[in-house]
Amino acid sequence: MKEFTSADDILDFAIDAEQQAVNFYTRLAKNAKTEDMREVFQQFAKEEIRHKTRLTSIKETRLFTLSKEKVADLKIGDYLVTVQVTDDMSYQDALIVAMKREKAAYKLYNNLAAKSPTDDLRKVFLSLAQEEAKHKLRFEVEYDEHILSEN
Amino acid sequence: MVLNDVKYLKYKTYLQTYCPYCKVSFNVEKNDLKQLKLNAIYKNQELQLTLSPYLDVFDVESSIPLEKDSILDDLICPHCGKSLISKQISCGECNSHVGEVIISAASKLIPFYICLKHGCEWHGLSKSDERKIKLKIPRQTMPEQDQTLRVHNYEEVPYGYTTELAMLEAGRCLQCKNPKCVAGCPVNIDIPSFIELITHETLNEAAKKIKERNVLPSICGRVCPQENQCEEVCILGIKDKPVAIGRLERFVADYERKMELVEVPVISETIPQKIAIIGSGPSGLTVAADMRKHGYSVTIYEALHETGGVLTYGIPEFRLPKSIVQFEINYLKEMGVRFELNHVIGPLITIDELLDNYDAVFIGVGAGLPRFMNIEGESLGNIFSSNEYLTRMNLMKAYKFPEYDTPKPRGNKIAVIGGGNVAMDCARTAIRNGAEEVTIVYRRSRHELPARQEEVHHAEQEGIKFKLLTSPIKYIGTDSYAVKGMECIQMKLGEPDDSGRRRPVPIENSNFIIECDMAIVAIGTGPNPIIFNSSPKLKRNKWGYINVNPETNETSMEFVYAGGDIVTGSATVIEAMGAGRIAANAMHEKLQKKLNHAKKQKGKKKQIAK
Repeated sequence: MKEFTSADDILDFAIDAEQQAVNFYTRLAKNAKTEDMREVFQQFAKEEIRHKTRLTSIKETRLFTLSKEKVADLKIGDYLVTVQVTDDMSYQDALIVAMKREKAAYKLYNNLAAKSPTDDLRKVFLSLAQEEAKHKLRFEVEYDEHILSEN
Repeated sequence: MVLNDVKYLKYKTYLQTYCPYCKVSFNVEKNDLKQLKLNAIYKNQELQLTLSPYLDVFDVESSIPLEKDSILDDLICPHCGKSLISKQISCGECNSHVGEVIISAASKLIPFYICLKHGCEWHGLSKSDERKIKLKIPRQTMPEQDQTLRVHNYEEVPYGYTTELAMLEAGRCLQCKNPKCVAGCPVNIDIPSFIELITHETLNEAAKKIKERNVLPSICGRVCPQENQCEEVCILGIKDKPVAIGRLERFVADYERKMELVEVPVISETIPQKIAIIGSGPSGLTVAADMRKHGYSVTIYEALHETGGVLTYGIPEFRLPKSIVQFEINYLKEMGVRFELNHVIGPLITIDELLDNYDAVFIGVGAGLPRFMNIEGESLGNIFSSNEYLTRMNLMKAYKFPEYDTPKPRGNKIAVIGGGNVAMDCARTAIRNGAEEVTIVYRRSRHELPARQEEVHHAEQEGIKFKLLTSPIKYIGTDSYAVKGMECIQMKLGEPDDSGRRRPVPIENSNFIIECDMAIVAIGTGPNPIIFNSSPKLKRNKWGYINVNPETNETSMEFVYAGGDIVTGSATVIEAMGAGRIAANAMHEKLQKKLNHAKKQKGKKKQIAK
């Protein structure tokens, strides 16, 4: 695993991860077979761009907050089986992919926080994990509201 | 007062009164000649007054006859012993004090004022008094099949109101000047008018009044969630229970059908334009009726071998008898609507091809694609989608096996996942199909169950178990890949989020197993993509539902309209009908413009030719 020695290292890594996400969704948007799903993935990509911008701003200003607020974890994505990424995937599948990606990122930052040599670095990781948890929650709420409508 | 002279009680129908204190209703059934006896105190001596269903007036059964111009002191409720003379006001005739007794005859509430001094009869009533009186009539319950018997058959559970009960219930309506119920109804039925017609026992007129706006009243009266629509905004509901509008609608429509009073409208004028409708569910049927009434030639294309859409394949017989659905559809057939069965639009004929032969198209195909949870083990044997289960049981009549050659999906311990009406339908069908134990598994608490309270109540009565705040996370299979259980996790409701909803959150390490040999997934449905594969021009949203202009319900393709679940996602029958009405109005307007434009062009050409 990559060794992090400074906050800049971490942020560069996180910014790169967000860029990969942007690329991932942009590719899905390009290949999407229907207009509506193209718009969905473009929207996901835009959200990832916003996350990246936020991280870039943290890197430049050195201002970040580690809020004490606990982000709810509905754990919807935890029990769902992995879906194949295809050009004609449905919105439900797209949400599953997005939830699982955000969960993986959340876990990664939490693990890195646990292994951080300094308290400052740990806080940066925890802050990033919190961001990812929020992103995941946004997808989970969408899934909860529309897929698990139970009616 | 001579009671035999109480002229304003001369109704040769049902008489009813109740005690305003203990609220006991004294119902006298029409076919029951049992008479109601009230104790009357007269000059410190007791005598009995008898209310009889077919008598014009009060009869006095007493050895002490009431003398002319004598004074009646009191009337006593035989149940609680309190005086039925609820208040004293001034007599309109002699200005002395009078006591008021409330009598209802033929559902007309009549305050029975008795002058305590001179025995004058007077029945003037202010609006506010009338309102107070109406508030005292309890909401009438609908007789229904006994719960121990009905789990062994598929016959309809509620029997519907009798004429007497309907008239009594109709008598509760306040006849508001600005009735909110009309706006609460997606097709804007003139509710107060039809209810008033019931109070006059002009039931055929009441049925016609409903049909002005709703072509499927027997169906809507049974399956619409009136408690969230017209009844939710009923003014009576503020202090008491709202008027049972849905039950009255059902009663009137059933009466019209049973008495064979249904009149098919004569369509005199015929418009040379043709309409194609895809899907014979509630939205399609509404468009068909509306457009046919205008005089268009209308053809409905149905993918299945039977008409009715979700009304036929989805809702079970015990909630909506199929004979009623077919009766309503026959009404449309008699109006001249043509039905083409076994026609899957998309693969068989595209929408573009339909537009070659028709002037406008309406898409009302519903949302028939089952959703699954996408958890581990979901492809094991004996795990059904609610669509498949109900289609087998209802449309393919598996419950009549071997009369119908559809095998019954069998299970003894059945888990139904979901909390909506469809989940209740599946559970109640399963118990009738001989299951020993049926459990509804739902992620939220009872308060959030999306099913109608009436359905939940019926399910509980029939012995369905409810495992609330529980979510399956994995299915467990036997060696032969059939389901044998579900691993579940206990949930709790989290803090309200920005939208104010409390979302279910799993409780860590609360996993447990629910044993089951069959599971039915009833978590919702989505749009079936089959129609869209050949129509890329039809714009849809990210959920796959069709985008329409909400003012007209026209889609991104000109002259192609859509409505119902394929636009909104799963909703109610009446909402689908409301969407159909919007589309039909807009379609008619646009086609008329087109027709007039064509006529003008033709006229111009003729002038030029001259």
